[in-house]
Amino acid sequence: MNLLGKKERAQSWFDERFGISGIVKFLREKKIPQHKHSLWYYTGSAIMLFFVIQVITGFMLIFYYNPTLAEANKSVGRLMTEIPMGWIIRSIHSWSSSFMIAFAFIHLLSIWITKAYRRPRELTWMSGVFLLGVTLAFGFTGYLLPWDDLSLSATKVGTDIPRSIPIVGVWVTKLLRGGEDVTGDTLTRFFGFHVCILPVFIFILLAVHVYLIQKLGMSLPLAAERRKEKVKELPFWPNFVYRESVVWLILLGILFTVAIFLPPSLDKSADLMAPAPEGIRPEWYFLFLFQILKIFPAKILFINGDTVAILLILLAFILFFFLPLLDNKPSEKKGKFITFLAYVSIVFAVVMTVWSLL
Amino acid sequence: MMWKMKRLLAFFLLILLLFPLFLLKLNFAQEVMEEEQNKITQAEENAEKIVPSPKDIKESTGIYVFVAWMWIAIIVLIYILRLKIKEVDRLFYIRFFSAKKK
Repeated sequence: MNLLGKKERAQSWFDERFGISGIVKFLREKKIPQHKHSLWYYTGSAIMLFFVIQVITGFMLIFYYNPTLAEANKSVGRLMTEIPMGWIIRSIHSWSSSFMIAFAFIHLLSIWITKAYRRPRELTWMSGVFLLGVTLAFGFTGYLLPWDDLSLSATKVGTDIPRSIPIVGVWVTKLLRGGEDVTGDTLTRFFGFHVCILPVFIFILLAVHVYLIQKLGMSLPLAAERRKEKVKELPFWPNFVYRESVVWLILLGILFTVAIFLPPSLDKSADLMAPAPEGIRPEWYFLFLFQILKIFPAKILFINGDTVAILLILLAFILFFFLPLLDNKPSEKKGKFITFLAYVSIVFAVVMTVWSLL
Repeated sequence: MMWKMKRLLAFFLLILLLFPLFLLKLNFAQEVMEEEQNKITQAEENAEKIVPSPKDIKESTGIYVFVAWMWIAIIVLIYILRLKIKEVDRLFYIRFFSAKKK
């Protein structure tokens, strides 16, 4: 009785200061629609799960990582050989980033196909596309940090791509590299982006994205919305959270198993003077872009082939970003064509990725 | 005389028998040397590339036991969560919380 009274007093003390009962009430009243596309709702929280794992393992890695030319590769090597379970932490960080990006692609594509970006959720989509961009930037900057031959060469190729953009291209390359070429300055700069600048962006964008989702609620299937059907709903807390927990547990199990049995290796320290090794390849999520650039001819009429390829890719990204504004009649012929484009894009990206691996 | 011939024959036979063995031995020694050389080269290469793995049998056993326990725990937790989901859904459909509110 005495203990119960203390617990209640402590609860009311915190509630008075944080307004916890209001949050619990909001979560209980928040409803999640249940229909045949409900499965896609879980991809968003899966991204959050992997993001949290990235943050936790990132904190652990940063204690041992030294972002200097002489020590970057050695410090990663020490982490993998001398620190107890250091190789597992690095492996979880590396695999978790791949899982996070894979789920971000799945999440965006599912929204594209189900047209969940339609009015009034245009800004939710746009903030999501920005979030995907920041996530990819995390992957790109993190790839250089072990400072081995392959990561150096891939970064040289990657940071050289913006050079083909007219007017601002050279400036962007210099900004990324911290000079004309990839050097120790690039490593420091990428480390800064990875642990300082990008986290600020991702937290701001996440806050905006989550706020918009809370404000606007989950979208219903297009057909159900048109027919004004009453869709079955479940409370977010605890019904949906329990279901999400099942998905999280399975994903955590898969992540840990893959990280333990397939840990990434570490090559020898990169030599800035050495020629580029054979088979330079970016991470899997950039392979389709890499292959598109490779198949373009050196010259198209009198214009540089790379410039044409980059401008076309940029145009595709701009159209992708403004998709909710372009797809303003989702149930009409135009909307169906845009859905067809989504399937074509998936097939195209898969074919390009497989082609680059051959 | 015959005895001398027999001894000579035995000697040649012995040589004939031992010679291939001697050759084999030489060859084996060469193979061992090559093997050693390969090991050194491999070790040099390995020194440059770190392939992460458990350090010893204790660590590898620990990891396998951890993975096994992790999956057992996940299966048990999923089973418990399934029961909880059924229960909270049932309470929701009978409007248990709404009735309580009134």
